[in-house]
Amino acid sequence: MVHLRMDADRWKQVDELLQNALTLPPEQRDEFLQHACGADAALRREVQSLLTSHQKAGTFLQRPAIDVAAQATAHASDALVPPSPEGQIISHYRVLSKLGSGGMGVVFEAEDMRLGRRVALKFLPEAMARDPRTLQRFEREARAASSLNHPSICTIYEVEERDHQPVIVMELLEGKSLKERIQQGNITPEELLESGIQVSDALAAAHAKGIVHRDIKPANLFLVEGGRVKILDFGLAKVAGSPLEDGVDEESLTAEGVIPGTTAYMSPEQIRGEEIDGRSDLFSLGVVLYEMAAGKRPFAAKNRVLLMHAILNEKPGPVSSVNPMIPRELDSIIGRCLEKDQEQRYQRAADVCSDLKRLRTSTASGTAVALVAKLPAKRGSLRVGRWSLLALVCLGMIAVASGLYLRSHRAHVLTEKDTIVLADFINTTGDSVFDDTVRQGLAMQLEQSPFLSLISEDRIQQMLRLMGRPADARLTPEIARDLCERTGSTAVLDGTIASLGSKYVLGLRARDCHTGNVLVEEQVQAARKEDVLNALGEIASKFRSRLGESLTTVQKHNTPLAEATTSSLEALKAYSAGLKLSASEGTGAAIPFFKRAINLDPKFASAYAALGLMYGDGGESALAAENTSKAYQLRERASDEEKFFITSYYDGRVTGNLEKAEQTCGLWAQTYPRESLPHGFLAGFIYPASGRYEKSIEESQKVIEIDPDAVFAYDILASDYVALDRMEEAEKTINMGTARKLESPQFIAQRYDMAFLKGDGPGMEREVGLAKAGLGGEVRIANHEAFALAYTGHLEKARQMSRSAVDVAEQAAHRERAGVFEAGAALREAFFGNAAAARESAKAALQLSNDREVEYGAGLALAISGDSSLSSTLAEDLEKRFPEDTSVRFSYLPALQALLALNQGKSTQALELLQAAAPYELGSHRSSFVGLFGNLYPSYVRGEAYLAAHRGVEAAAEFRKILEHRGIVSSDPIGALAFLQLARAYVMSGDRTHAKSAYEDFLKLWEDADLSIPILKQAKAEYARVQ
Amino acid sequence: MENSEQPVNPANKEAHGLYGGEVSGLLQAWSRGDQEALKKLTPIVYGELHRLARHYMRGEKSGHSLQTTALVNEAYIRLTDYKRMRWENRAHFFAVSAQLMRRILVDHARRHNLKRGGGVQHVVLEDTAVIGGERNEDLVALDDALHALASVDSRKAQVVELRFFGGLSVDETAEVLRVSAVTVMRDWSTARAWLYREMGGAPADGC
Repeated sequence: MVHLRMDADRWKQVDELLQNALTLPPEQRDEFLQHACGADAALRREVQSLLTSHQKAGTFLQRPAIDVAAQATAHASDALVPPSPEGQIISHYRVLSKLGSGGMGVVFEAEDMRLGRRVALKFLPEAMARDPRTLQRFEREARAASSLNHPSICTIYEVEERDHQPVIVMELLEGKSLKERIQQGNITPEELLESGIQVSDALAAAHAKGIVHRDIKPANLFLVEGGRVKILDFGLAKVAGSPLEDGVDEESLTAEGVIPGTTAYMSPEQIRGEEIDGRSDLFSLGVVLYEMAAGKRPFAAKNRVLLMHAILNEKPGPVSSVNPMIPRELDSIIGRCLEKDQEQRYQRAADVCSDLKRLRTSTASGTAVALVAKLPAKRGSLRVGRWSLLALVCLGMIAVASGLYLRSHRAHVLTEKDTIVLADFINTTGDSVFDDTVRQGLAMQLEQSPFLSLISEDRIQQMLRLMGRPADARLTPEIARDLCERTGSTAVLDGTIASLGSKYVLGLRARDCHTGNVLVEEQVQAARKEDVLNALGEIASKFRSRLGESLTTVQKHNTPLAEATTSSLEALKAYSAGLKLSASEGTGAAIPFFKRAINLDPKFASAYAALGLMYGDGGESALAAENTSKAYQLRERASDEEKFFITSYYDGRVTGNLEKAEQTCGLWAQTYPRESLPHGFLAGFIYPASGRYEKSIEESQKVIEIDPDAVFAYDILASDYVALDRMEEAEKTINMGTARKLESPQFIAQRYDMAFLKGDGPGMEREVGLAKAGLGGEVRIANHEAFALAYTGHLEKARQMSRSAVDVAEQAAHRERAGVFEAGAALREAFFGNAAAARESAKAALQLSNDREVEYGAGLALAISGDSSLSSTLAEDLEKRFPEDTSVRFSYLPALQALLALNQGKSTQALELLQAAAPYELGSHRSSFVGLFGNLYPSYVRGEAYLAAHRGVEAAAEFRKILEHRGIVSSDPIGALAFLQLARAYVMSGDRTHAKSAYEDFLKLWEDADLSIPILKQAKAEYARVQ
Repeated sequence: MENSEQPVNPANKEAHGLYGGEVSGLLQAWSRGDQEALKKLTPIVYGELHRLARHYMRGEKSGHSLQTTALVNEAYIRLTDYKRMRWENRAHFFAVSAQLMRRILVDHARRHNLKRGGGVQHVVLEDTAVIGGERNEDLVALDDALHALASVDSRKAQVVELRFFGGLSVDETAEVLRVSAVTVMRDWSTARAWLYREMGGAPADGC
């Protein structure tokens, strides 16, 4: 076929003539060739033949080869059979070998080429794939299931598409199904309990999201290495319409001799075709547990109809009747799962889980061994005595057996229990703007992940101190690795930034800090300096996936860094420096840096938020409110996680709307289960305000669980115990903190108050000494001392102490704090009957600040001291300025307005006003955090209102309430005055005996009191009258 | 040395990273003689090929629709992720990727022919409506003819390889071969006429 019988020269000639001819109009070509070829007719014919080809060639070779090949393939008859996905590329997955097939389709092992990990791909069965509506539902369910993030639920990474059909990309598992395990027999009670606990825990998580599995059965429970159980195919059964049979088709419905598969695990309501909920899964779980324990299913019949009848009507014999070694408790747990009536069954998976856990604890001791030893082997041929040998054999089999989705690999590098340490970047660009910026930027990007948990800056600095290094030491890869080991973390992340010509190269790697092995490594380039932040975002998302986070959450919480923070590197640099300083040097040092960050980028939401927090911590709520409000306005320019922080801080501290803050924190904690702050907010000021100290305890314990070095959590926890009068636990808590080498001014104040409550004078002095020795909180402790002194009537000393506290606070430019201290002084004078001094102090306090707590304290002092007019102005101001504030609405205003009503002789109105305060009666309010006053004031005023209304018995109840909650009232003067008021209430109700002893209690408390205090004189006079 | 990082056209920007830089790495390995790399590249090309074939099978007509063109372009973009490569020069990369496509597609056609009975040497596609050409195009025959052409005029054979198998434009081809675009067009028209005739399209008069 080769016609090219000529040499190169000849060919060149042909080529040239052809090209020249082509430049001419067709009708002139013949003439040209005749002329050009002369006598060489062969040459002429050759060129002419090519000219003809040229004209006829049409679109020959005009379309790319792959297109031509594709059409050829499409038209070849054998190509019409849909090709096996093996060897194909679907999106960025390369399909490898087939792993198995089941009711829900065929599963292949595949390689994720983007993330370099092995995954499992599940293709729908043909029949299902043909119906577009089924497909839609399938996809919807798969996407819902992919939102589940639980160690015992097989993770769905994403749903891909192949030929318009969804393909589920999921975690590749190594192990075997429970079905196979049951067939092997010899399941130990521990194994059973462990599986039951894990599955019920996972079901609880899924049910909480409204996802019901619908097809819980041994074939869908996969046992992986390390004792983990993984639930497969979440929610997919819904698409199929009913649980899918394992190789049993409809014909077997009534066929004899076949023991149907999945039907055996269906709940009665499922069989009846009713709407089902999570409780249906619990029935199926009961069947599984029964089968594990007994070695046979609770319901068995010859065909499917009979089986359905059995599930609907028959009560299975107790497991212990089949296996007498099964403990009664397990019998009853399984029995409660298998209740035919949903209402009689366990209502929540979490209850099954906790019952199983309890049983595990109780059998963990010696009894378990006996149980295991006596558990009969499944087929009866195996003897008890050989159990241990058999167990070894079985374990060996587990190790060797290959299950459905196998192959050795590691899909995840980290789990949701691991923490990581971020080292400083090595910056070789010579541009200092990258120094802390790159690390901070990466931290902010990684913190968006609900999966990853970085060791906090506070904790790092704490550790550095323990390691004898300065708190701001550079975190070289070596130091970071050391920190990683000391904090019990898993991995350390270190990175580099270098310049390459005009470009920048960012490198990042994660190393196992125990072995030093590199887990993940990535590199990205940025074309320009301005692109570095974007590149950082890119590398962070890659890392999140490669470290094991599900793509669903990576995509959901991934605000680009420039949008989540700032597009200005300089601003980010200032912000990073501020954060670093706030941890090492305190809030004051950090403030100028945050201000600079805001100057550089006036839309930098996080910088406003940080500034607000700094001012808030410094007790400057006006400035805190101003900056937090600004952050709140700009909150769309922050990451999801930061938005939660800004919103809850705004609700909690600016508007004071604690109901909203509670909601936000709840959602925050749910979205970011590894973040301690939402728990800290709930524990710190949300729950205490409504007196929910038990809840606050739970939340602070969660904080400690997440971050065992969170100083504030120990303080809050101790306060909660004090409020509940559980002093021993409070002390233990603080000791736990100090045992971790944690110390803070709050601890000193907390220990001081605890010593005060115990009447431990030397203990109180010790703490004052510590504060003065430079451990911090000297100003704060002076205010505590002032209140403690006044509590026993040492008013003059209290005044001195208070004055010095106010002065020092004022000198430190903490006018607001000074104002609160002064308002406290005013209140003491007012309660003790020094009206003029009270009015003077109140006005001085108002000069210092118009903060809520100052206006409240001053307003109360003025109302008690007869200046109703100024007091009611303050009440109106509070109402107007803080319409949403929970404490203002439900504690401050009711108490203040009721006092004003009493001044007008309107006791009934006062009692009505106080009704609003009832739900918050035992709360600890903001006024008590800094000012040490205000808790239980509504009760105190209500007592006074009852006295005014001559209702002595009811008045006595109110004052007793105050005396019964010393931990909440602490050193507030009403704690002492409640004795006197109680005495008055008893006098009114004619109970002279109790009145006398109450007066004596008060006078005993005030035995060394300053004699000039008007209320003391009054008390003595009254006491004389009851003698 | 020219900048190898610049994408040829904006579409490549989206395409980069589809295979995580894998294709270019494998191509590089293959160009160094690593035959394992070819084994890994083959399924990637097949993947694209089947994707296109399924498009035709679904009867999503037809030859020159915009959608088909887009799909084909996309296939090339996926297979030639320019952005990630670290080639000494872009030309080298184009050349290697065109060679690769030729190698894999011709092998595919050859295996296909064998499956269909071995005796039939060429897959003959009569359906001109789908092909869009007036003559049969047979990749195996074309490959043979190209070898023959190369023995006399290797540049023309290369032009065909780059344009037809590699999917390159005239300008890109010119860049690879370091000749002018006009030369590429002239080579292309001569080669095309010759190949068409060689493959049985028009009578030749041996001389």
